[in-house]
Amino acid sequence: MTVTFQLNGEDCRFHGDPMTPLVDILRQERFLTGTKAVCREGFCGACTVHVDDEAVPSCLRPVGLVQGCAVTTIEGLSSGNQPLHPLQAAFEAADAVQCGMCFPGMVMSLSAFVRDNPHASRPEIKAAMVGNICRCTGYERIVDAVADCLDQARKAGQLVGGIHV
Amino acid sequence: MAPSVERSFTAASTLEEAMAARRQGAAVLAGGTWMMRDPLRGVDLPGAVVALHRIPALSKVDIEPDHVVIGAAVTHAVLGRALHGAAGFEGLVAAAEGAANPGIRRIATVGGNLCALDFAAADLAPALLVCEATVELETVEGPKLLGISDFLKDRHALLTEAIVTRIHVRRDLVASAHIRLPLRKAGDYPVAIVSLAVDKDKRCRIAVGSVEPVARRWTALEQAMAAGPASALDPERTAELALEHNDFQGRDGKEVEGWYRRQVLPPLVKRGVAALLKTEGLA
Ligand SMILES: Cc1cc2nc3c(=O)[nH]c(=O)nc-3n(C[C@H](O)[C@H](O)[C@H](O)COP(=O)(O)OP(=O)(O)OC[C@H]3O[C@@H](n4cnc5c(N)ncnc54)[C@H](O)[C@@H]3O)c2cc1C
Ligand code: FES
Ligand code: FES
Repeated sequence: MTVTFQLNGEDCRFHGDPMTPLVDILRQERFLTGTKAVCREGFCGACTVHVDDEAVPSCLRPVGLVQGCAVTTIEGLSSGNQPLHPLQAAFEAADAVQCGMCFPGMVMSLSAFVRDNPHASRPEIKAAMVGNICRCTGYERIVDAVADCLDQARKAGQLVGGIHV
Repeated sequence: MAPSVERSFTAASTLEEAMAARRQGAAVLAGGTWMMRDPLRGVDLPGAVVALHRIPALSKVDIEPDHVVIGAAVTHAVLGRALHGAAGFEGLVAAAEGAANPGIRRIATVGGNLCALDFAAADLAPALLVCEATVELETVEGPKLLGISDFLKDRHALLTEAIVTRIHVRRDLVASAHIRLPLRKAGDYPVAIVSLAVDKDKRCRIAVGSVEPVARRWTALEQAMAAGPASALDPERTAELALEHNDFQGRDGKEVEGWYRRQVLPPLVKRGVAALLKTEGLA
């Protein structure tokens, strides 16, 4: 079967088994290895991508279901010489990243969250991270960075993500 | 990546098209959050699937003055948003908003939650049991309506050829609550689930999920409560009755043993009644 969809703004065509998990196509056919396949069970969130602007686990998304959709991976969030997404910049500034395994998924989940919840409280930020497991950081620094990012965006009168999500 | 497989994949745009695929042996694919893990359970993915997400009638929630109709392909996230703030549906909303994790809730559907055979920890099952929901199926003989208790009991046989299309819920609840006990604070399957509701006649309905293989109403406790004074919805007293009338056989699982699931029920009932008393309908 042939499945077509937009991948980071470009047309993408896949020929093969429509039940192939999207993550395998991203990593093995498109070499977009920012998206990680860790648990393959929907529990860790390392494979999170945006499908039609919603953050979803790509390990449980059969490619047949993304026919006609727009898929954005961590590589599509900010590439080449573009400035980083404000959330990526906030993580970098706070030195929040350790081994980095969870971060592409963390950024994809939280970038959609801050876009939709510019006034989120700390408990709401934590609730949004329930599906993203980090074995290194203990989470608090990540929550701090998200809260800072929202704070700065509010001060600047700008919705986070309005820049280039 | 798996070797290329010749698999039939139909994205049906009408129910008729979906039923035609079903008659030819296609399995229903909803959000895929259960089915995509079949290989991890040692089960092959089906050779033919029919996806429901393109059928508009199955992807919407209709809220009428006296009832609500939920399409089987509605996701947990959409259900939670649609019923947020609707009096009497606090429990169903808590189930839809508390299950799994946010990414799963954006894709996992109501139909998939009720039709995942051998999945004991489905949050929506006890929540819909206390709503006394009716399940609408499309079968080879045409549409069929079934009470949710009967559907859950008979679903192995019913789902060999049918498609769940809609869930019908009357708006006859004053208040409801949904209490789940995961081992971590959130994100994993609940060890035990207690859903409670109070109807317009002030009768309390209670259902339990994840303790036995299939969710069911706790009729022994409901009857014991009905025998007491109608005004006495008291957390402590209800927990005592729950201890006295605990007729559950806990299932053993890799996360906990059966006795534990059974033993946590009275404290969960206590929390549930306390939550009921805080709702707008009863406060
Ligand atoms: C990380 C993770 C955590 C989870 N935590 C929870 C939790 O806390 N609580 C909870 O309740 N669930 C939990 N789940 C389970 C999840 O809710 C179910 O996997 C989900 O509801 C299934 O819905 P789906 O749309 O993805 O179904 P699918 O995987 O598409 O289908 C599941 C089964 O139902 C059948 N089916 C689907 N729709 C229909 C229909 N309309 N008619 C007939 N048959 C149908 C399919 O053929 C298949 O056999 C979790 C899942 C994951 C991955
Ligand atoms: S790899 Fe997809 S959630 Fe873990
Ligand atoms: S930084 Fe290592 S898992 Fe999160």
